[in-house]
Amino acid sequence: MILGRLAALAAATEPPAHEAAAHGGAEAAPHAVGPAEVLMHHVVDSRWGDLVIGPLNLGPTKHLFFFGVAAALVILVVRLAMRSYRQGIPSGLGAAVEALIVFVRDDIAEKNIGHDGRKFAPLLLSFFFFILVAALFGLIPMPSYDFKTGHLSLAGVTSTGNIAVTLGLAFISFLAQQWGGISKFGVVHHFLGMVPPGMPKALLPIMIPVELIGMFTKPFALMIRLFANMLAGHMVVTTLLLLIPLMAAISTAFGVLMIPISLALALFIMILEVLVAFIQAYIFTLLTAIFIGMYAHPAH
Amino acid sequence: MPTDPKALAYFAAGIGAGLTIMGGAAGIGRLAAAAMEGIARQPNAAGDIRGAMIVAAGLIEGVTFFSLIVTILLAIK
Repeated sequence: MILGRLAALAAATEPPAHEAAAHGGAEAAPHAVGPAEVLMHHVVDSRWGDLVIGPLNLGPTKHLFFFGVAAALVILVVRLAMRSYRQGIPSGLGAAVEALIVFVRDDIAEKNIGHDGRKFAPLLLSFFFFILVAALFGLIPMPSYDFKTGHLSLAGVTSTGNIAVTLGLAFISFLAQQWGGISKFGVVHHFLGMVPPGMPKALLPIMIPVELIGMFTKPFALMIRLFANMLAGHMVVTTLLLLIPLMAAISTAFGVLMIPISLALALFIMILEVLVAFIQAYIFTLLTAIFIGMYAHPAH
Repeated sequence: MPTDPKALAYFAAGIGAGLTIMGGAAGIGRLAAAAMEGIARQPNAAGDIRGAMIVAAGLIEGVTFFSLIVTILLAIK
């Protein structure tokens, strides 16, 4: 994984030379990349092709591709786990996946939603496994070719590090939260039940907007949290590795001295990222379950 | 003395990131201290306390990230 980041850095070592050339009055280099560009290139989506349908461009992009790969991987792993069930006692992969599934079903879904939590378990499991696999996927270097600039780099791509992906996840979570209340009380009672009964009439003009804002803040916070966590980890690792070319620009000896320090720090953050992948998958699933439970059991 | 407005943006981003981390660290630090104390007093409830702690830590972290994104935008745009 470190080698992958270094490949991306190969482009970063160029800027001093290019900038010097540009200052020398020469034409600006075609691919003058500074640290900020490398950082952005690593975390921002890039378009791979065009497929214009009406006003939309549905062509594959970097994040769309790795989004699909992560989703396919989830389906594949779970299918393989199911296969090991057909032979009786599950072993290996089947047992590992079962442990996580039972954890999500019992400790997240049923504990926070109640006895009808089992109904929401498939959705929560999809959230959990997709976010986990997408985040862990970002720690594996993948060849990523930028068709616009022609840069080939090896870098981990986390599709949940794109705010559009987390917006989609949070929107589904929002629908599930509302469905948790609507399926139980019906549309009218769901919205009436949001304001606690016995509230003085004078407070209603304050309470109704507050409840409505709260309804949309919950998925919004889910969206920002996942996006920022995935983005921040990648940015920190890339920045730590960018210290090498920045130091090398001052003096080659500094750059060489910086290599072990930078690699050790980056490796530490990457190990931390494995932990963050699990925690974020857990938090997103848990908060969705808690919010569904809040709408299914409003304050009496 | 004329100043480049970009320099002020970088300055604000640095200060902002520092303040954000101070707030987030104080919040999560207090939370962890209280949770440790709770677990030490009532080891049976360790599982429940840990679950509640992770949720609260996630909420604090979420707010921290709001402001960190603002500082990132300040530094990049």
